[in-house]
Amino acid sequence: MENNKTGINRFLTKISKPFVRFYNRFMDGSLGTKMSHFVMGSGNVYHGQIIKGLIYFIIQAGYALFMITCPEVNKTPLGYKAFINLITLGTQEGDIFTPADNSMLMLLFGVVTIGITLMYLFAYNSGIKSSYKADQDIKNYGKVTSFKQDAKEMLGNRFYITMLTPAALGAVVFTLLPTIFMILIAFTNYDKERQAGLKLFDWVGFDNFTAFFTNPTGEIAARFLPVLAWTLIWAFFATFLNYYGGILLALLINRKGLKGKKIFRAIFVLTIAIPQFVSLLAMRNLIGEYGPLQNFLVQTGILSEPMSFLANAPNVWTARITIILINLWVGIPYSMLLASGAIMNIPESLYEAAKIDGARKFTILRKITMPYIVFITTPYLISSFVGNITSFNIIYLLTSGNPKVTGGYIAGGTDLLVTWLYKLTIDEQQYNLGAVIGILTFLITSIVTLVTYRRSKSYKEEDAFQ
Amino acid sequence: MRKGKTFKSLALLLALCMIVASFTGCSPKKDPLTIWVGVESVDFYTAKMAEYVENYKEKTGESFPFPISVQGVDTASAASKVLDDIDAGADIFTVAHDNLPKLTAGASAIAPVRSEALLAQINADNPDEFLNVIDMIVQGTEYTFGVPYISQSLVLMYNTKYLTKDDVKTWEGIWAAAKKNNMQSASLTEAGGFNNSFLVLAINESTGKMPAIIYENGETENCYFTSDDTVAIMQWGQRFFTDQNGGKMPTDSGWEIELRDEISLSVIAGAWKYNAAKAALGENLGIAILPSFTLTADDVEGTNVKAGTVYRSGSFTDCKVFVMKKGSDKAEYLEDILLFLSSIKIQEQSFIECANLPAYKNAITEFPSMRADTLEADLALKQIEMFSYGIPQPFGNPTAHFYYYSKGAPDLIREILENKESLFGTTAAIRTQLQKIENIWKTGER
Repeated sequence: MENNKTGINRFLTKISKPFVRFYNRFMDGSLGTKMSHFVMGSGNVYHGQIIKGLIYFIIQAGYALFMITCPEVNKTPLGYKAFINLITLGTQEGDIFTPADNSMLMLLFGVVTIGITLMYLFAYNSGIKSSYKADQDIKNYGKVTSFKQDAKEMLGNRFYITMLTPAALGAVVFTLLPTIFMILIAFTNYDKERQAGLKLFDWVGFDNFTAFFTNPTGEIAARFLPVLAWTLIWAFFATFLNYYGGILLALLINRKGLKGKKIFRAIFVLTIAIPQFVSLLAMRNLIGEYGPLQNFLVQTGILSEPMSFLANAPNVWTARITIILINLWVGIPYSMLLASGAIMNIPESLYEAAKIDGARKFTILRKITMPYIVFITTPYLISSFVGNITSFNIIYLLTSGNPKVTGGYIAGGTDLLVTWLYKLTIDEQQYNLGAVIGILTFLITSIVTLVTYRRSKSYKEEDAFQ
Repeated sequence: MRKGKTFKSLALLLALCMIVASFTGCSPKKDPLTIWVGVESVDFYTAKMAEYVENYKEKTGESFPFPISVQGVDTASAASKVLDDIDAGADIFTVAHDNLPKLTAGASAIAPVRSEALLAQINADNPDEFLNVIDMIVQGTEYTFGVPYISQSLVLMYNTKYLTKDDVKTWEGIWAAAKKNNMQSASLTEAGGFNNSFLVLAINESTGKMPAIIYENGETENCYFTSDDTVAIMQWGQRFFTDQNGGKMPTDSGWEIELRDEISLSVIAGAWKYNAAKAALGENLGIAILPSFTLTADDVEGTNVKAGTVYRSGSFTDCKVFVMKKGSDKAEYLEDILLFLSSIKIQEQSFIECANLPAYKNAITEFPSMRADTLEADLALKQIEMFSYGIPQPFGNPTAHFYYYSKGAPDLIREILENKESLFGTTAAIRTQLQKIENIWKTGER
């Protein structure tokens, strides 16, 4: 209980710090700094930093202009109107001659305007800090830095900030905002019957999530858990079979005394050199009912008649196991290469010491080789697991999510969450349900990544093998 | 020190280049009048639009005010593309008629036809079946939205090495040839709601009636799939698909390989599979209308249908239509362009150059090109003949479309036909399953 209290206090102290500093700057600052709280850049101008002050002022003026004039893109406004539209998601129903409000753009522009406002607030705070720093500089050194000096600093000691800023902005614009947009869609009824620009859609709270969890008799809820379970089963087997298969192969290839190691390695690397989709389609044809493999099996009497192993398989598990096996073909070479790299870097002295101590081959493998490989490749293992949860190509190219499942709500027997999401959004325009799956997939992958990585030796003992 | 400076200069230069490139990429471009057509017809319609521009200049003495861009798109996904971003859609684009409901839902993404000349041409040139499906009701008022210019239906593509023209008149004829050659009668390209129409839409040869009723008058509730005739048809289908020489459900290898490797004698497919069928069979490719079948005593068991009743396999008979984007800033020019592009003359040229089956109702008698002794002409003729045994996809709203195709009804039909573990070996079991299918069509629920 006491610990909890301390935790909450620490949290409150932490989040209140910027506000306290903001207040202190206002109280302690010069007249210019005080003015900066109302007119950006005025503090800098007050201290003679004209160009810097002007830049801040332009930012504020630009933001004010943006918010007041509400520029329109595709007849949907940004600016302050975007805030109102974000709440209403449009009011104009439209008719045959006039378009309806585009709820989707309104949602998007609302998010964009919030993003721009947050960036403006960041610049606003930075303007005040800049003026306050000028106060301190005058107090300590009797003068302020010139624009030239500031620019030089930005290209010198603070060059990393200059270069990181565009990257950070890119991440905000191209990753963060779309993610927030997607999350918000999960709380609307944006689906095929409410197409953007044709019919308004609206906020529906947690209804879409409810459909996935609290209505087990409903089609979506009934299908969600099997798809999730198969996604996790697939990710587990696709990751670990490939991983240990790759290590095994690497151990065999890197055996002392084996001739033509490079040739063996090159042969397996060839499967990487061939585009994955080509390998997958070739495999599909190879094992198809009338492909060469089945011809051989039928002719040799192993199969009495051709059977389907993939999209038309009589049993869902036949298709699932086949996919996992085919995935070995495209996945093992990667982990083999990685494990080879790790094996070749194990210090020879470790092996020699072990041999002197009388360790057997298996003990050496268990105590030296494997821990070393696992330590080096844990981040790969985690990213591979996460990658397999969101693996689209293999499923889509081999089976398109089939065989069909009765009552599958568009999801077939081999559909993963991502391929189901694809079908729901691209084929069926059920954007709201797709967004829920997107969020759930994100939660699963991020939890798996965080938990496993933080518990791994690669994270805890970062310097162990250096 | 010097190295560091060079690196910084390079990094700054790169960042500057990226910013300039972004602004250049986002700068406005000259806005052409855009037309989306099927990928296979881009060159043809580009040439025709060049002709149109010349005609325009001759007629008005002025140049056409916009550059014209004809682009090839996957016509199956054109409607979805437009709905994803209405403003990014072309001024004129082509869609299958069954996409009209979703394009006209709510306040409609496409503009109605208002030009009297164009309306008159549409009414004069198109069969009633097409006229019935291009009108949509938006907010209580009916408008014409689509301008038909291509039509299509399922046909039988078969191997002439094993099947004669007489054989392909009936499924029994094909079946007998399949037994003789130890092959299978026919492959399906897919088992979905479109391709199973050869059974679902089967028509009684003597009465001309189709037992199945699907969204009649555009009403979601107007569906009927539980008649005795339907039960008998399904029992025939079950016999056909469970026989080792009968029909073949889709496989992982694909129907092309089954046709090429002489595993199947024929395939039920649309004209868009013609090139693949030709690649598989070469000179042995023949085209026929879908065959008829005769119900046996086994097929009619448990129903009041008489043994010996003959049914003809049916098909969805669709048309592709041009539509206009709502709110296009070139709206005043679009209808005149459509008048030209959907004219009889252009439809015939499109048939000759791109093998597009005309939507024009008298094409078969008036187009000399359709009487040519070519496989392409045959394909066109057989499709037109199939129009007597089919209906255009009757989905008056997006919900009906969703219920029909995406709520599992095709899988239930497949279960009857495959009869795995003899689950549908009785009339009662089939009736129960048909009731579920009918419920799905009506309500989306079983």
